[in-house]
Amino acid sequence: MFAISLMNGLVMGVIYALAALGVSLVVGIMNVVNFAHGELYILAGYFSYLFASALGVNFVLAMVIAVGLVFFLGLLIEYLLIRPTYGNDMYSLILTFILSIVLQNAYLLIFGPYPNKPPLWVQGATDVFGLFLYGNQRLAALAAGAALIAVIFVIIKKTWFGRIIRAASQDREMAELNGVNTTRLNMLSFGLGCALAAAAGVILAPVFPVTPTAGVPVALTAFVVVVLGGMGSLWGCVVGGLTLGLVENFGAAFISSGYKNVFGFMILILVLLVRPSGLFGRAKI
Amino acid sequence: MKLNRRIVTGAVALLLLCSSAWAQGVIKVGIVGPRTGAAAATGQAFDEGIKLATEYVNSKGGVLGKKLEVVFEDTAAVDKAASGFERLVTRDMVVMVLGESQSSSALAEIEVANRLKIPFVVAEAWADDITAKNYPYVFRAGPSNSGVVSQSIAKWVQFEKFKKVFIIAENTDWGIGIGKLTENAMAKAGVQFESMITERNSQDHYVELTKIKAYKPDAILAYIYGVGLHYFVAQAGETGVSPKAVILDGAGPPSLWPDYWKNVGDYGNLECFASSMHEKVELTDLAKYFRESYVKTFGKAPTDYKSRSIFDAILIAADAINRAKSTDPTKLIDALEKTNLKTTRGMAKFGMEKGSPRYHQWDPPMLVIQWQKKQQVVLYPPEAATGKLMR
Repeated sequence: MFAISLMNGLVMGVIYALAALGVSLVVGIMNVVNFAHGELYILAGYFSYLFASALGVNFVLAMVIAVGLVFFLGLLIEYLLIRPTYGNDMYSLILTFILSIVLQNAYLLIFGPYPNKPPLWVQGATDVFGLFLYGNQRLAALAAGAALIAVIFVIIKKTWFGRIIRAASQDREMAELNGVNTTRLNMLSFGLGCALAAAAGVILAPVFPVTPTAGVPVALTAFVVVVLGGMGSLWGCVVGGLTLGLVENFGAAFISSGYKNVFGFMILILVLLVRPSGLFGRAKI
Repeated sequence: MKLNRRIVTGAVALLLLCSSAWAQGVIKVGIVGPRTGAAAATGQAFDEGIKLATEYVNSKGGVLGKKLEVVFEDTAAVDKAASGFERLVTRDMVVMVLGESQSSSALAEIEVANRLKIPFVVAEAWADDITAKNYPYVFRAGPSNSGVVSQSIAKWVQFEKFKKVFIIAENTDWGIGIGKLTENAMAKAGVQFESMITERNSQDHYVELTKIKAYKPDAILAYIYGVGLHYFVAQAGETGVSPKAVILDGAGPPSLWPDYWKNVGDYGNLECFASSMHEKVELTDLAKYFRESYVKTFGKAPTDYKSRSIFDAILIAADAINRAKSTDPTKLIDALEKTNLKTTRGMAKFGMEKGSPRYHQWDPPMLVIQWQKKQQVVLYPPEAATGKLMR
């Protein structure tokens, strides 16, 4: 039981971290909470299902197209809905909340209420060290998720674009004074945040089929991870995601599976009591 | 001034009279059910059943010589259920309310039905408490937790001579209630069992399945509704729990949803499910009519049996209104209590045994069916069986 809880906790943790990275990026740079994050995750899942299953496109290409489309949709959302609200965080919050409801109902109309999933990348299950059987698609999702997180870290820490992002998230005015076009940066960052939601969606849709409302728990978990790890901290997302995944799985294994979601909130409350800014958050002076 | 007031009052009264359903030559019944949210598939099934039922009733002369009209209120969230129900009665002036598939919503709605004194025929919410409260205005023309467990699931477990079963139930009014009843039934039948509650919205069941695997059950009685059931079946296959242990989907419809096979793949083979509908077995000629009309109207075969449940509920309501010769709630209650109507699922007749969930309850017969190479094979009851359990 310990081994499967550990393994599953790590897998779910990476999945949670991936879903939360986009939220963290947008919060960190723009101070915007995107309530439609889960719905964009679902949209990518639907796109990959549509291209791969309905149109017969190669599943890798289908995933790339899905992420690309959601990225462009993110740019459009920023331009049309978020940009006019700069200076008032509450407006963007309300707008993205409305957007999430509109998207949920649009999915219901277009795709229907039944779950949909793109084809599996790999079939079957693997015997892990003779201890338990583990689904190959989950292992593939774990590998893809970990690789994607690593790529994001390299982009943020090692590239010129990453430096600009970090600079703007630390001191927006100073970045502007140094010639950073923060309006364009906001647009790109929002698009990137949406693309990260989409990447999580296409990686996970073969494991967890998408439905019109399946984005709600995804977004909720992502917000919990972001708050747990510290607003805007990428390391916080990874550590927060893994903590949440492990706590949920060990709680379900050794206490009760009926309270799986409660464990996550309990650990969140405990962390916030000790460190109100989250595990890796910067305390405001 | 007085004259003006009279004119205004008269005009308002006239407007109300003209706009009333009665004046339009229609009698309205309300339907409650989830059209959005996680259980929206039920709303779609209800929509299909409503279309066929209203066409059927109106083609036979309607109700009290008027057209039957249905108003559907979305009660996807429990907090919307009571207000949605009340809106149907106060705004839409329906004479009766039917439907619902979520026990938590129905439990909120029966309180409104009782307060507003409006007949409510529940179609697909299974919690025993719905009829156990013995409210005079509340009826159920559909499965109840105790009926499904005692008449189908417990008997099937004994019929198949299972020695050990594992009960897993979602943490909802329906899941907890039916899980507890199953535990009692297994204890009474001398079947060894273990049970577990699972989070309703959980996508991941690996840890739970590891516990189940360690118990080595012959069968798993899974009370998980919706896409959660798909996750459970697929993950049970991945972890090697099934088909060694036979899974029984205690609700039914999710195993029949259009994307079931796409979502669970080959792991769906040999899964069993409880259902009041089979792709070939029909209990009455009305069931045959329903299937033919459904195919003709929607261009596909019916899968979610809830479309047929709401069809039956509408027929029961129309029959009661016609026999009552009135839309007075007291007369409707009296007529409903005397219901003896052929429906797609057999003869509908409500129990009158006070002090138990059988009061105002009609349990349609349920089948236990197994997927065998994507074919539905009836396993239980023996008189309807079309094959034997495969493992």
